[in-house]
Amino acid sequence: MNTVAPSSLGSVEDSASTGKRIYRLNRPHPDRWGVLVGGVALLISLPLLAILVYLTQEGPEWSHLVETVLPTYVSNTLILVTGVSLVAILFSVLPAYLVSYYEFPGRRLFQWALILPLALPTYVAAFVFFEGPEAAIPFLIWIRSEFGVDAFLAWEKVIRYGLLILMMGAVLSPYLFVACRATFQQQTRSAIEAARCLGMNSRGIFFRIALPLARPAMVGGLALIVMEVINDYGAVHFFGVPTLTEGIFRTWFGMGDRVSALRLAGMVMVAIALLLILERQLRGKARFEASTTSSGLCRLIPLSRGKGALAILICLVPLVIGFIYPVARLSQWAALDLMSDRPAVLAASAGLIRGLVLALGVSVGASLVAAVFFYAVRLRGNGWRLGGARLAGLGYATPGAVIALGVLAVLGAWDRWAGDSFLPLLSGTLFAIGFAYFVRFFAIPLQFSRSGLSRIGRPIEEAARLSGKGPAATFGRIHLPLLRGPLIAAGMLLFVDILKELPLTLILRPANFETLATSAYSLAKEARLQACAVPSLLIVIAGGIGLMIMNRWMSSDSSHD
Amino acid sequence: MKVPRIFSLLGFASLFALFLSDSVQAENTVTLYTQRHYEFDEKLHEEFTEKTGIKVEVVKATADELIARLEQEGENSPADLFMTADAGGLDRASKAGLLAAMPASLLESVPDRLHDPESLWTAITQRARVLAYSKDRVKASDLSTYEDLADAKWKGRLSIRSSSNIYNQSLMTTIIEANDAETAEAWAKAVRGNMARPPQGSDRDQIRAVAAGLADVALVNTYYVGLLENSSEKKDRDAASAVSIFFPNQDGRGAHVNISGVGLLKSSKNREAAAKLIEFLLSPETQAQYPNATYEYPVVDGVAWSEIQERWGKFKADEVPLKVLGERNAEAVRLFNKAGWE
Repeated sequence: MNTVAPSSLGSVEDSASTGKRIYRLNRPHPDRWGVLVGGVALLISLPLLAILVYLTQEGPEWSHLVETVLPTYVSNTLILVTGVSLVAILFSVLPAYLVSYYEFPGRRLFQWALILPLALPTYVAAFVFFEGPEAAIPFLIWIRSEFGVDAFLAWEKVIRYGLLILMMGAVLSPYLFVACRATFQQQTRSAIEAARCLGMNSRGIFFRIALPLARPAMVGGLALIVMEVINDYGAVHFFGVPTLTEGIFRTWFGMGDRVSALRLAGMVMVAIALLLILERQLRGKARFEASTTSSGLCRLIPLSRGKGALAILICLVPLVIGFIYPVARLSQWAALDLMSDRPAVLAASAGLIRGLVLALGVSVGASLVAAVFFYAVRLRGNGWRLGGARLAGLGYATPGAVIALGVLAVLGAWDRWAGDSFLPLLSGTLFAIGFAYFVRFFAIPLQFSRSGLSRIGRPIEEAARLSGKGPAATFGRIHLPLLRGPLIAAGMLLFVDILKELPLTLILRPANFETLATSAYSLAKEARLQACAVPSLLIVIAGGIGLMIMNRWMSSDSSHD
Repeated sequence: MKVPRIFSLLGFASLFALFLSDSVQAENTVTLYTQRHYEFDEKLHEEFTEKTGIKVEVVKATADELIARLEQEGENSPADLFMTADAGGLDRASKAGLLAAMPASLLESVPDRLHDPESLWTAITQRARVLAYSKDRVKASDLSTYEDLADAKWKGRLSIRSSSNIYNQSLMTTIIEANDAETAEAWAKAVRGNMARPPQGSDRDQIRAVAAGLADVALVNTYYVGLLENSSEKKDRDAASAVSIFFPNQDGRGAHVNISGVGLLKSSKNREAAAKLIEFLLSPETQAQYPNATYEYPVVDGVAWSEIQERWGKFKADEVPLKVLGERNAEAVRLFNKAGWE
């Protein structure tokens, strides 16, 4: 961003229809920022549009789907979404509150450790937790012999659904934990201090001050969790809980009806878009005036020994379920594998490095593009630009395999067009897969840029512009440095998500391209769980490092230097 | 300001690296799109490279994902060969017009039933879908056919995986073919009703359920029993030793046998190398390795079975034309949906 746009102060524009001369301040001319927003939004949403086209089409199996399995898919999806959301709330809001306002042994550890479950892909956690239903078999047999088949079936279902929900809730809870922690530590601080001074008791403060104030942040975190749940394919399939995503694949692969499958995917996308709009409406009304300058750390209230122990327990439970137990089990398997006479040598380690470089490159690239993109949206927040931003973020709500299909369609068209020219073919290249990651995950850096930019006051921007700098220079000199924290945090979260990504990578990858996720998947397919533990653990380690970096920059992003 | 600059440099360098590392199709390679996720396949490819100097480039995903990719890539596709773990995928690829005829001389050693009449694809291994029953609680004489699993005597005693699985779908196509759609739907409904628990997990988990006493009979592919029996985990070996194998429908049409197979792609620019790989996979030496490594059956006559396969014994295989598996697949899923078999 070194190009300085021509100063547009006082640019003059002709209005042909009226003949009047209209003077406008700060009007870039021509609207190159608008073009930028449109271009990026179009590029990213092309694969998504290629899918949305199917909304209006009726595949041969559509009515059959509606009559037979769709109700089950919808109800299973709703059960999972509700259950996982509740577990995630339970596992994150109170811990986030505790580490923000109370002093107890282990507080500093929990403050960052509760993010770690995010490093664990749900499909890997599923391998570990599926031992649960297996271990419950003797108990279930006892139930069957004592109480009959109906009781047995009820228990079987409760155990299976319960474990799946518990596991997903624990693994996904960091989305909510991070959101709540940020709110509790920055925005609600002064209100809570005031309530304390006025003598409100701690229960009242939590339920009547902290929770209502944290609601907008909670809704945002929950939206991410809901999308992750809807998108999950591996874990739900393994546990025998068919959701809409399984329905998409069953229709596509099993019945060969790609049109109905994509229509289903399109409907899921639209449903999530509506959910996001609803969230925005809710948040819009519940926007609280927050003191943006956080006053550093306020006094933490020390807890008595008994209450301290309870606080430790409340923080420890999600950490054990979502991280310590699965990682311990994986480590055990990995150790067994490495000691065995036939250890699984990580296949294609050169490919693994390519995968890591790709993940890092896309993370950094997407974060920067998102920052410029949202800055351009904000320059003039008209409906079109905001709509473009929303469209560009929709990829997060779409199953990876469906995005892959959209990307294949777009790049296939490009290849046919570029076929005989000097232009490069794109299908099956690293570009294809990098582009798909971009489309799939652009919502993350977009979200971070939005909240980061919203914290940069207008006055500082206006001061820069009035001193004669164009929008580009203002961005490069003011916003980009100030956005450093959120952008690094976004890049790291993106990095972790790409590391874990599986379906899209499987379909689009170039030949002999392996990521940690794909090699874990291959080994799991052969049911070599011990061997599969090795790449799985590496995902957790690399992801954990990424999350630590993210955490550092997130907690320091309020202290601009 | 320093940090973002470093990061942007890093970013642009990485993005640039993306373009540089675009795979360039070398002369002496063959590119394989495959559904098979076996470490053993990689070993075979290395062996092939050692022998011929031809490198094997691999993309692994499910058959239909790969078909979707091949369709979009069109004639620009770098792929030479398409390999699946069931006959239906090969049939769908040939219906999509993706496959080209192979030199007939390659297929001389393969029985007619196991390759496409127009040489668009050939089987490379076979897998039988059989019953694994509890040695303690079931007598072999209680078992007879797939159709018999619908009988009320199996109420609460069966363990079978989800009908999203291709092996169940393929079996269902043969049930339809041997009977009719109505009978097949009633069969699926009754079998689902006889299951001890809702479908979940893999074939391996069904065997474990029988070993643990939750169910008495599981419907599985033979090689899963072989894999469990030779697993490094004692738990798995115990599970395998608790069950016996029964080949159904021996007095009728025979046990359901599916294939793993390979087809030559129209987009192939390296047909000679591709043909060499097929020749290698069908050679008696390679064929003799499958029974001991993946516990699949060979397709070439005269190749020895592994010890465990000999123990399971010879059996009569259902000789339904393999293209039925592809043609009736959608119908099978539709019937499963109607029958409420998840």
